[in-house]
Amino acid sequence: MTTDRKLLQELIIQPGTGKALELRRGQVLRIAQTAGRQCADFNCFNLHDYKEFFHTGRTRHLHGMHPTKGDFLWSAPPRERPMMAIIEDTVGTNDVLYPRCSGFLFEHHYGLAVHTNCHDIQAEAQREYGLTPDDVHDSFNFFMHTGVSPDGHPYIAKNTAKAGDYVELQALMDVLAVPNVCGADVMMTSDFELKPLKLTIFEASDTDWAKVTEPPRMKNQRSPDMFKIRSIKADRELYKDAAYQPDFTNVPLEISEVEIDLNDEEMALLSRLAGTGKYGETDAEVLRYVFHTWWIDKFMRGPKHVPKD
Amino acid sequence: MATTKIKLRLNQQQLELIDNTIKSGESNSRDDLIRRALREFAKARLPAAEQDK
Repeated sequence: MTTDRKLLQELIIQPGTGKALELRRGQVLRIAQTAGRQCADFNCFNLHDYKEFFHTGRTRHLHGMHPTKGDFLWSAPPRERPMMAIIEDTVGTNDVLYPRCSGFLFEHHYGLAVHTNCHDIQAEAQREYGLTPDDVHDSFNFFMHTGVSPDGHPYIAKNTAKAGDYVELQALMDVLAVPNVCGADVMMTSDFELKPLKLTIFEASDTDWAKVTEPPRMKNQRSPDMFKIRSIKADRELYKDAAYQPDFTNVPLEISEVEIDLNDEEMALLSRLAGTGKYGETDAEVLRYVFHTWWIDKFMRGPKHVPKD
Repeated sequence: MATTKIKLRLNQQQLELIDNTIKSGESNSRDDLIRRALREFAKARLPAAEQDK
């Protein structure tokens, strides 16, 4: 088993900038602090099909609002594949809740019409590969220390990353990885000072691969050859396809009535559950709620979405 | 023993979930599976649910 990594590339990105980097499957990108307390925004595309890109929503759903070592960066539906694995994280304060900062935000909130911002930095870095500002997607925010207040609003806390801290991302497919130095110098994000970040690309060792358990493939992780329209729309105007025929999955959804015989003891349990007022209006609604939440608790894979009362 | 019939409204996808669970060996029938869910759910949650009422 190899433990030594082969160094492939090393560079520093300065405040106000980012860099698009090609990574092949099995290569590792390290994003490291130079002075500390610096947020790194990050975009990621399938190198061979830019329409597959990192999805904060699915990543947040599967790993929570602060993904860290052992978690994956997932692509958007209908692909929904793990694009990269986080194999090291020396801080543990990452964020997939906040969107990238933008020119609009600094103009609207601060009165600064021309200002470094992660959207425009990403767009400029991605332009090297022919992508447009519309292709920049919601970012993974490394070293961004965030939370949610009891009233449901997100907040940014003081950045705790120190010089030398780093995250490492191992590519599970060929990707265009685009880190940038977050441009928000008038927000808490990077402690009101923008600092360079050091980027290093390695060839993963066997030890790196041993840290990654790739999730099993599912039929619904679809590729464009499974789409009804396989080519990318090339014009901006939207117009109706006169030949369109709806073809929604499993439609029509047909309701059946299924009779369940409950003995006196079971009926008493159902009545008590109904009496709590928590599970439905009718006995049938309560029983359906009970069955599905029991099933989720017992058999569902992945994070449970039903509270424990 | 007297029984009471409860009519559950379920679509074909929900029935597929139930039938797949039966096929996996968890139960012998839709009826048995749903009654098992009721007993286990009540055992786990009823005391707290009634307390919170």
